[in-house]
Amino acid sequence: MLEATSQLATVVLQNNATSFPLIPAQAAAALAVGLAALGAGYAERGIGAAAVGAVAEDDDMFVRGLILTVLPETLVILALVTLFLTTGIPWDTAEFFEAMFSAAS
Amino acid sequence: MSTSPGSSNPEYVTTRVRSRRSVLFNDEDYRKLIRMGPAEIARFMEESEYEREINALGARHSGVDLIEYALNRNLAKHFNDLLDWADGRLYDLIARYLRKFDAWNVKTVLRGIYSEADSADVETDLIRAGEMDDRLLDRLLDAGSIEEVIDLLDRTTFADPLRAALEEYEETGVLVPLENAVDRVFYEQLLSDLPGGEANQTYREFLEAEIDFRNARNALRLARSGADIDPSEYYIEGGQLFGASQLSAIGGNVEELVAVIRDSTYGDDLDSALDEFEAADSLISFERALDVALLEYSDRLGFIHPLSVAPIVSYILAKEREVDNIRAIARGREAGLSEEEIEEELVIL
Repeated sequence: MLEATSQLATVVLQNNATSFPLIPAQAAAALAVGLAALGAGYAERGIGAAAVGAVAEDDDMFVRGLILTVLPETLVILALVTLFLTTGIPWDTAEFFEAMFSAAS
Repeated sequence: MSTSPGSSNPEYVTTRVRSRRSVLFNDEDYRKLIRMGPAEIARFMEESEYEREINALGARHSGVDLIEYALNRNLAKHFNDLLDWADGRLYDLIARYLRKFDAWNVKTVLRGIYSEADSADVETDLIRAGEMDDRLLDRLLDAGSIEEVIDLLDRTTFADPLRAALEEYEETGVLVPLENAVDRVFYEQLLSDLPGGEANQTYREFLEAEIDFRNARNALRLARSGADIDPSEYYIEGGQLFGASQLSAIGGNVEELVAVIRDSTYGDDLDSALDEFEAADSLISFERALDVALLEYSDRLGFIHPLSVAPIVSYILAKEREVDNIRAIARGREAGLSEEEIEEELVIL
């Protein structure tokens, strides 16, 4: 019985080491962006409510309210940066930049 | 206690409230108002916040009455807006404070019946800012007797305490027991099952301060009037400053009352006012100091907890003070008081 457990354990460990992770890299990257967007949305909830309140009292506050409301979107942009840094850019980077520079020059 | 549906939305309400607070009259406006007669004050108000109310009432009233009714109506409009905006727990917290006006209205109706005033006269004195809707208030106005009023209030919290006080009223023939019952209901519900949390803890402290100040004011008034009444009869539960037994032990002793207040947590804020009170022996400046202290306290709470009920309560207080100030100016001018005398009556932060 005991030998069987240790054998099972080695099998499981081996399996874990070799099998695919529970969340593949691409899915993890997608989750990261999604969670960042969720955070941004939660932040915008409060700011948006306050901004609408301010605009309702004074129309001149519209532009300022809009700017403050979308500020948390920077969270999503930063999440995209980490996405590129950790997973690598999904296209051939060298080729892409070469094409871009040759187009520019 | 009814809970309103939805989650609370302090962000929305506090921004609107802060914006409205910024259009309240400032020192300079008051300085201008003090130099005006009633008609000029009405014109000044017409060009400000109170435009709609002055226009609506201008045809029917004039002079100081016009100013007073416009103020009441504007107050009611703003406070009803607060209740419209707020959802969820925030609504409960605001409504709990605004029931002050329900209590005021019930007392006004009772007084109207007691003094056999015309119901149209009583109506202009109502402030339709509390939780009671217009229909109930109209029916209260039509009521012919105090029993009828109590029956109409059946579904509110006021009914049972009023019934209990009715007997005493019939025995003595004075309104005091009924009015005390109404006040007590208001202050008791103010602190009952207040939800927890740090922000609400400070709200509770503020409400306790308000009750303490009310108790202090009542006790000092009674002590100064020299009437042989037990101050604990007017005592409101829930404050920190006095206990009922302590208050009746002190009785009519002004010096001891002042000493108790000076030793309390409010001593620092009220120290200079208490000195002035002892020197001049006048309650006016002391009561003004209480108002200013409460206003400053609520303001401070609003900065500590910006997303709570605190800024809203501080707005309610500030708006009430503004209405009181304008009324004091108008009445003072009408009575021919000098500018300095009126200025002494004003509560300006």
